[in-house]
Amino acid sequence: MSAESNPPIASLRAVPAGEGPRSSGLTYQELLDTDTRTVPDVLRMESARELPVVRVPIDRYTSREFHDLEVEKVWKKTWQFACREDDIPEVGDHTLYEIADMSVLIVRGEDRLIRAFPNTCLHRGRALKDRPGRSPSLRCPFHSWEWNLDGSLKALPCRWDFPHVKREEFGLPQYGTATWGGFVFINMDPNAEPFDAFIGDLPNHFERWPLEDRYTEAHVAHLMRCNWKAAQEAFMEAYHVISTHPQILSGIGDANSQYDAWDNFSRAITANMTPSPHLGHDPSEQEMLESILTTSLDAEPSFRVPDGMTARELFAQMARMQLQANAPSVTLLTDAELNDSFYYSLFPNMHPWGAYNKIVYRFRPNGNDPDTSIMEVIYLAPFRGKRPSPAPIHWLDYDEPWTEAPELGPLAKVFAQDTFNLPNVQRGLKSASHTHVTFAHYQETKIRHFHTLLDQYLSQ
Amino acid sequence: MKLRHPLTHDTYEVRSDGTVLVKTPDGVEGIFRDDGQWVRGALHEADPHLLGFIAGPQLKRRGPQAANAPTGGGPALPPQLSRHSRSDNGGNREMDLGLEGRKAIVTAGSRGIGLSIAELLADQGCDIAICARGEEALEVARKNLEARGAKVYTASLDVSDGEALESFVQTAGEELGGLDIFVSNASAGGGPGLPAWEHAFAIDVMGTVRGIGAATPFLKASDAGSVVVIGSTAALEFLGMPQAYNAMKAALISHASDMAQALAPKGVRVNVVSPGPIYFEGGNWEMIKQAMPAMYESALQQCAIGRMGSPEEVARAVVFLASPAASLITGANLVADGGFTKRTAF
Repeated sequence: MSAESNPPIASLRAVPAGEGPRSSGLTYQELLDTDTRTVPDVLRMESARELPVVRVPIDRYTSREFHDLEVEKVWKKTWQFACREDDIPEVGDHTLYEIADMSVLIVRGEDRLIRAFPNTCLHRGRALKDRPGRSPSLRCPFHSWEWNLDGSLKALPCRWDFPHVKREEFGLPQYGTATWGGFVFINMDPNAEPFDAFIGDLPNHFERWPLEDRYTEAHVAHLMRCNWKAAQEAFMEAYHVISTHPQILSGIGDANSQYDAWDNFSRAITANMTPSPHLGHDPSEQEMLESILTTSLDAEPSFRVPDGMTARELFAQMARMQLQANAPSVTLLTDAELNDSFYYSLFPNMHPWGAYNKIVYRFRPNGNDPDTSIMEVIYLAPFRGKRPSPAPIHWLDYDEPWTEAPELGPLAKVFAQDTFNLPNVQRGLKSASHTHVTFAHYQETKIRHFHTLLDQYLSQ
Repeated sequence: MKLRHPLTHDTYEVRSDGTVLVKTPDGVEGIFRDDGQWVRGALHEADPHLLGFIAGPQLKRRGPQAANAPTGGGPALPPQLSRHSRSDNGGNREMDLGLEGRKAIVTAGSRGIGLSIAELLADQGCDIAICARGEEALEVARKNLEARGAKVYTASLDVSDGEALESFVQTAGEELGGLDIFVSNASAGGGPGLPAWEHAFAIDVMGTVRGIGAATPFLKASDAGSVVVIGSTAALEFLGMPQAYNAMKAALISHASDMAQALAPKGVRVNVVSPGPIYFEGGNWEMIKQAMPAMYESALQQCAIGRMGSPEEVARAVVFLASPAASLITGANLVADGGFTKRTAF
């Protein structure tokens, strides 16, 4: 079907930034006025951007050609989260970051600096490393060409046979690296903008919730039968809650969530322990608590909201008590920070959650297949004393349920609700006779922001 | 579990057979599977997300290996994952090997069959100690096993050094907090001449005798102690030429049978797995294929299943015998050779 048969519709035009209708429910800023602690500026902030994208062609999610374009224009050009610093704590530690069909080797050098190289031998191209590990040098298993950890050529057997190989010309090519919040970022493009300019103000947003002081408590990687963008877009809005997570509707401010966009990152804030504007009635404080904790109707509730207290206050107090041992500063955190979901997205595929929600998502294509992807859930937990070792990656096959990963706790069943839709999204997209998917103006701000940035990368 | 849909006010209640009874406020009822499939009743459609939430897979019990966070970054590439048919096939029960949280030693566990055994044990939830001579391979194996969620203890030593071996077993038992499984896998392999006989005796025979000896106090303390010795079909049928390897493996099968009797009253089982030709990169048969193609071809032809075995296939036999699931089996010599040997094994 050609694009002409589906001309732009006037009502789909983007409404100017910051304008347009909103849910009739309590706004997030109004809810913040009820907080028992001083609300920091980061939560008071609102930010709109001009986002021309209100719909995108379906082949973005289904075509190999578009995937190839993404490889050339995005994955080979942009900064991306490759690993955590504590994945490679010691000299000689190395790990691999795989994106599309490319492998990047990330190494901790003698000088303790982190460097990234294409994972390929300059002799005949074998991958230098097959898996993460620790080694005093980088030696190719094929013919034993060997590089120092800083990428300089160290030695090769039968040196006499390579008079044309000059040591200074055969250092491993180096990719850009940067760190923030304990994350290691890489960039394959030598002409890329500096990382600080790319990440912008995001580090300031996380000042109260330092992610470098966390360790990887859980790391689950799940193969998905859908395009990586379809997968991540399921985690960038609260619009789906009414249909996908009905059990929590009594206690979640879904349609009245707040959405913000900055240069390369965006944010959604969804309040918990507050009723959904969709409800036809006002739930009690106890009902809201039981909804979020999904208490069975025929079971005794594990907690009762005391008279004169709200569910938000109770839940915040419980969270403060729980977190206090490992993060003493939580006593100062607002009820909002202990109840609500602050889900940031850094272009193109990293989704760190704010406050103490622990979640970081990452979505990647699965090799070069536009119809499958890899979704990772990483829990970053606070700790006291010696930094615990990061949890190894727990891989789940396409059809394995999230509940096979007990380290995810009760959220495993919520992820299962989200990803239940995803293979069927891909199936539906491939069955479409229409040409575009269409986004909500406000509640799908983050998705529109992503595709606006994607368009910018593709046009460069 | 029973929930009410906050918008429709339908109630969802899990029944004893795992299906869900959905009831509207008007009293219309239907019964559904967790995937949304209607089973019976006047109500024909219900919310699949809520059905899945209330009756779908529930959170797996957290095993002991998940509780203490293991070290090291995990593999960056997806491992070869198999398709699970569990939910499609309600009648099938998985056999539980009972290995979750067990502690195991595998000698010469950094490569080949030994590494495969260690990996499979780790996959079943065991903590692992391995020893080997080469430090580099040990370190690679350690990361590999840790990535599978195991607590790992490694030591670099030569099994022919009996004192070093005993001290390794002792320390491994202390580091892991006990021992349930001892797999004696180290072997000097083949080779001509008298010195090869003495070397093979020191590693294959004395390594097994001293290893079992050092492990026994721990195994007795376990509620499911077990030893698996790696034998060989070379002990069962003539394999081209007389050599120490064949005789040493025969000695091991005999000794394991004796130990099965001696340790049975203590609750410790002892068995042998005798592999036939096992092919893997860097293994003996790869070397033979290149150096002695005629011998390789002849061995291949004798394999009734038309191929040589893999380390993983041997590991599955070892892990079963080592596990509490094999509680009735002791003194056995389980031949895993794809029909390579031709005798009738009564």
